[in-house]
Amino acid sequence: MEKSTLDGKLFAQMVFEGANNLRANKSIVNDLNVFPVPDGDTGDNMFMTLQSGCKAIYDLEDDALDVVSTTLAKGMLMGARGNSGVILSRIFAGIAEGLSHSTTADVSVLSNALHTGVKRAYESVAKAVEGTILTVYRDACLYAAGTAKEDTTVNSYFNDLFDELKRSLERTPEILEVLAEAGVVDSGGAGLVFIFEGMLNALEGRKNEYSFESESEAPVVDFSKFNEDSSLDFGYCTEFLLQLLNEKGGVEAFNLDDFTAFLNSVGDSVVSFVDGTVVKVHVHTKTPGDVLSHAQKYGEFLTLKIENMTLQHNETTVKNRYVAPSMNKKKKIAVVAVGAGEGICNILTDSGVDIVVDGGQCMNPSVANLIDAFDKVNAENIIVLPNNSNVVMTADSAAELYDKAKVHVLGSKNIGQGYAAMCAFDPDCDDIEAMMQDLTDAMADVSTGMVCRAVRDSSVGGAVVKEGEFIGICGDDILSNSEDVEEALLKLSENIASDYDVILLCFGNDVSEEEAANVHGKLEKAMKNSEIVLINGAQPVYDYMIICL
Amino acid sequence: MFVFFTDTDMDVNSKLAKERGFELISMPYTLNDKDVFPYVDFEEFDSKAFYDSLRAGSMPTTSAINTERYIQYFEPHFAAGNDIFYVSFSAAMSMTFNNMDEAVAILKEKYPERKFYRLDTKGITILSLNIFYEVSEMLKLGKTPEEIIKWAETEVNKFAVYFFADDLKFFKRSGRVSGISAAMGNLIGIRPIIHINDEGKMLSIGKEKGRAKALARLVSYVDELGDNVKDHKVIIGHTDAYETAAEIRDMLIGKFGELDCEIVAVNPTAGSHCGPNCVGVSFHAKHR
Repeated sequence: MEKSTLDGKLFAQMVFEGANNLRANKSIVNDLNVFPVPDGDTGDNMFMTLQSGCKAIYDLEDDALDVVSTTLAKGMLMGARGNSGVILSRIFAGIAEGLSHSTTADVSVLSNALHTGVKRAYESVAKAVEGTILTVYRDACLYAAGTAKEDTTVNSYFNDLFDELKRSLERTPEILEVLAEAGVVDSGGAGLVFIFEGMLNALEGRKNEYSFESESEAPVVDFSKFNEDSSLDFGYCTEFLLQLLNEKGGVEAFNLDDFTAFLNSVGDSVVSFVDGTVVKVHVHTKTPGDVLSHAQKYGEFLTLKIENMTLQHNETTVKNRYVAPSMNKKKKIAVVAVGAGEGICNILTDSGVDIVVDGGQCMNPSVANLIDAFDKVNAENIIVLPNNSNVVMTADSAAELYDKAKVHVLGSKNIGQGYAAMCAFDPDCDDIEAMMQDLTDAMADVSTGMVCRAVRDSSVGGAVVKEGEFIGICGDDILSNSEDVEEALLKLSENIASDYDVILLCFGNDVSEEEAANVHGKLEKAMKNSEIVLINGAQPVYDYMIICL
Repeated sequence: MFVFFTDTDMDVNSKLAKERGFELISMPYTLNDKDVFPYVDFEEFDSKAFYDSLRAGSMPTTSAINTERYIQYFEPHFAAGNDIFYVSFSAAMSMTFNNMDEAVAILKEKYPERKFYRLDTKGITILSLNIFYEVSEMLKLGKTPEEIIKWAETEVNKFAVYFFADDLKFFKRSGRVSGISAAMGNLIGIRPIIHINDEGKMLSIGKEKGRAKALARLVSYVDELGDNVKDHKVIIGHTDAYETAAEIRDMLIGKFGELDCEIVAVNPTAGSHCGPNCVGVSFHAKHR
């Protein structure tokens, strides 16, 4: 049935179906990498971001459009991971902004709201790159608005929007040369197309039940992490939906500000908001019983979840490595880094990093993961070292959302840059702005190379690579390729490492120590003037990483 | 008559002490729960075994010798009617000299006629060793301890030492280097450059990437600060890094020509605070 207005209930169904459709197609999106390495995983990132929003609205009783869209945007913002995920969350934040005060929306309100999404998405990136999700979304919004007439229904509007999304996506290789060369369309744009395809399906009455079960990573709980010798350092992640009850006088008496103040007095990381007569609460506390008793004065629980945060509690497989379990005194400056691989995490913590958040390659950390780490380090200033360009934006978003400390995000795009920055880090520094400049300067001197297997045939910057071959990468360039991992590494080293005094050779979790020692010897022979230190990095994806300091 | 004392933290071993007519105070360390007094509990220092144990993860500690032990060292000589002249490592680095002062005060009550002089080399290991050589030469030439103490007022600070650290773990735990705090990161391949200042304290003054650059920086200190380098000993100390020490010796000889160069394995007590693979150079300088 053609609809002239959109209400909250329908919008929620559309979003659920968007998420369903993206989930079904996310491996296609993941495969649309310019680089033939398994990095970024745009599809997973976008899906997890959207799913975080879906969870927020799943239990909502109020189906006013403004409430649904605002709650969705909030959930997505906290769950945002990866660049595309952050941009997606900003698109929906803009849409929510445009729909505020509208319990339903007609085509003109909807069109304006979608446009606010364009604005917020562009604002969220330091430098907008055309030929990406940004362009695809903007093109579609402009086209749909341009073709809209008096009698345009929500259905026909979304059909126009979707048609142009597809066309704009097809055009991305014409705009962005790297896409053309790799023979792919933009992955973020593709993710967006799948989301809107699902949304359109729901609008047209073709929808499926939304479920969180399938494919979402089940929590891996290792109970041995908390035993008879443990102490409760992190408290419990406590989440519930509270139905305020007239019977208890709760509907009348409940005051969100007072309630939030109470939560802050018994815990931290508080997120609480009211939707009608339902209160949504998230708090980290050591005394969940106090929170529950207090909440129960006003009503009863619809859902309840309490998890010991010392155990691996996250709903995803991303976990924080808590390096200093009890940090009671507020530090002046703390450093939070993102890293993958036991050995890599160890060299980072040795270098002075307070917490290493797992992730960065196939599994990008979310805004919430980073905020958790910010809470844990308990510092006046927090410096964040991303390890991937895909993490920089997530870190920027987390920094923007966090108000308990001044958060400085360094634009480090790999572990080498982060490590080089730590070489210039001074934990006692008084002028942090000046030090950030020093850290940035230090990053410029380092060269980082990686060797891994190409996941598909590709051509990047003139290098023709066959699937399964080993490739040596530095920045955006493929500098070597060979059937033989050693040859790929040695050629890469010749290219980037010869002028450096210190080279850290980190071998990955698929490489044996004997094999690595052998390669180390060969590299030492090839680079007589450099000091080459062999490190068991145990990183995923990359067989070898060389950090040239 | 004067009896001369020195200590093992000065990198003076029992053979050298004997040769130069000095009594040797042994400054102990504790490794794997065992107290060791150098040149009392062993005759030859096995540098490789000691630093290999540190490489394997052992964390040695050091302790100040007590008042009673100082009395045992000094009293027989006072009783025999002799005076004491002690050339020591830096009092700014250890609490042990409070115990020594107490011992001397006790002995002075018993032997009020006796004299006790201490020359503070305001250094440790190869820096102090360099001054030890100068002092023992002067004694050979018949200078009195009073004259040498007078000389030391201006000349001790004309011996400099510069060295680089490898694994900061040891310095961090020791807490004896200003500029290297427990909070500081340990960066692979990045070598902090440390020197000892006029007060006899260790100070971190920068860092270099890689061994080659660190060595070049040490040589550049000898070049820029050196004063009559050829007329004095140049001592290169190492904590089980002989090859690197030899490398810097060759670099120095290449730059300055013939030099009176000596390579020394740093004593285990001082080495407990440095850890393995440190290399340093001590030389006669315009200033520290």
